[in-house]
Amino acid sequence: MFDKITKFMDEKLSTPMAKLAEQRHLRAIRDGIIATLPLIIVSSMFMVIAFLPNSMPADWGITQFLMANQTKILLPYRVSMYIMTLYAVFGIGYSLACSYDLDGLSGGILAELAFLLTIIPASIPAPGAAVTALAAESADLANYLAQVPSGFVLPMGNLGSAGMFIGIIVSFFAVEVFRWTQKSGFKISMPPQVPSSVARSFESLTPTAIVLIVVAAITMFIGIDVHGIVSKIVAPLVSATDSLPSVLLIIFLAQFFWSFGIHGWSIVGSLARPLWLVLLEENTTNYVASAAVTNIAAEPLYQWFVMIGGSGATIGLAILFAVRAKSAYGKALGKTAIIPAIFNINEPMIFGAPIVLNPMLIIPFIIAPLLNGTIAWFATSMGLVNHVVASSPWTLPGPIGAFLACGNDWRAAVLSILLILLSIAIYYPFFKMYDNQLLEDEQNADNAA
Amino acid sequence: MKVLLVCSQGMSSAIAAKALQEAAAKQGLDVTVTECSTQAFAEEIKNGYAIGMVAPQIRHRFDTLKAQADAAGIPCVLIQPQGYTPLGGPKLLAQIKEVLGEIK
Repeated sequence: MFDKITKFMDEKLSTPMAKLAEQRHLRAIRDGIIATLPLIIVSSMFMVIAFLPNSMPADWGITQFLMANQTKILLPYRVSMYIMTLYAVFGIGYSLACSYDLDGLSGGILAELAFLLTIIPASIPAPGAAVTALAAESADLANYLAQVPSGFVLPMGNLGSAGMFIGIIVSFFAVEVFRWTQKSGFKISMPPQVPSSVARSFESLTPTAIVLIVVAAITMFIGIDVHGIVSKIVAPLVSATDSLPSVLLIIFLAQFFWSFGIHGWSIVGSLARPLWLVLLEENTTNYVASAAVTNIAAEPLYQWFVMIGGSGATIGLAILFAVRAKSAYGKALGKTAIIPAIFNINEPMIFGAPIVLNPMLIIPFIIAPLLNGTIAWFATSMGLVNHVVASSPWTLPGPIGAFLACGNDWRAAVLSILLILLSIAIYYPFFKMYDNQLLEDEQNADNAA
Repeated sequence: MKVLLVCSQGMSSAIAAKALQEAAAKQGLDVTVTECSTQAFAEEIKNGYAIGMVAPQIRHRFDTLKAQADAAGIPCVLIQPQGYTPLGGPKLLAQIKEVLGEIK
């Protein structure tokens, strides 16, 4: 009976749903954004270093050195994570073009062009005679003027996650135009006498011209504030993602897919990651500006407090297999699964125990992360731990990752440890039942032999 | 013989890769196993592999990956869940033999 239900659900529900996430535009977003993750993680660490003084004694030499150079230390962050959409757009354009068998590099460049056309450069004039005269009298004004650049300046505000959704939209537009011109033959064709390499260079002019004219017309000539409009539309979606019901829904869906052995986090992440990045970057920006940090449920919250040891908070199960298993199989599994589990890799257990399609272990596999998520959400909203502000590498052991992600907050490490203990407690009765069953099977097999 | 394992980010497949390598060594077979992420697969599979093997948790991407392997003329199979564990090396090896016949 159980087998029939699961087979039905796998064939009719989880696999078709998972395949939806393989739609080429969603895949392009996923691959484009994933390509920027190393950049986000490494530059996050610059932020962690710059703000180490917050958790160090003020009279240490290193504290004072870091404080004095904070702005400078943060500059690499400003040109990486702070403007991550600039990078993601290239990846999205590249990936989408490749999925149509078009030239990836051209797709990436077209997408980048389309995105930058939505960012209006400002021209800052040099101070006039009257301003210079005033500055001669006011040291404050002179100081300010010395910091103001002149000439063309690109505002950076929308190059980061704030521009993410526009970035996605215009990348799609650019690559679709590219594809349309290639397919429909709507391009500048040269007479056959013209060498083919020259002819190709003219052909690629058409999509570029269309993208440039259309996007520039909308954003620059007509002057529609596309970023303002889209951020208004997306705002409710972003704040909904931050709410407890969404957190629980996201966790449940991820666990649901994993219960069938499908990488649930990768599927849920395809859709939610752009929103998570907006939440995280708002936090980071406020943190760096020493303003109030308010968003709760960016991806690091899940990474460090919910999916400890891998999806399903299986760290508890790994520890149990390693130290409490009586069956030979359980012991062998525990020995091999515990080390990867410390680094949040749990496929050995998901497929080895197995948890997949195993009614006994699926129950805690779904309950444990839901409970962790609820606790972490309230702990954050009540200020018991700092809000997540950094993206630390997901293969760090839980408490260390939590400490870094929350901006060097030791309370986050404590919470992570408490949640690990909770995970052990939740898995324990189910583990015991399952291990006993394994043991019984082994003894029966021995007796039979 | 070279085998390419692909999973979401090329992390968990490293564990299965090690298991496969050990199982092959036990049978005295010369098998080199490499692992990679989904994004890297299309390019990597062109580098002289005998077979591509897809991790079970990304089976919803199997069709895409299979098409990429087909384009390179390399057979590509979906790993059975039971084979994708630190103890599953012999099962992976058996699955390879099913597709390629006996391994020299």
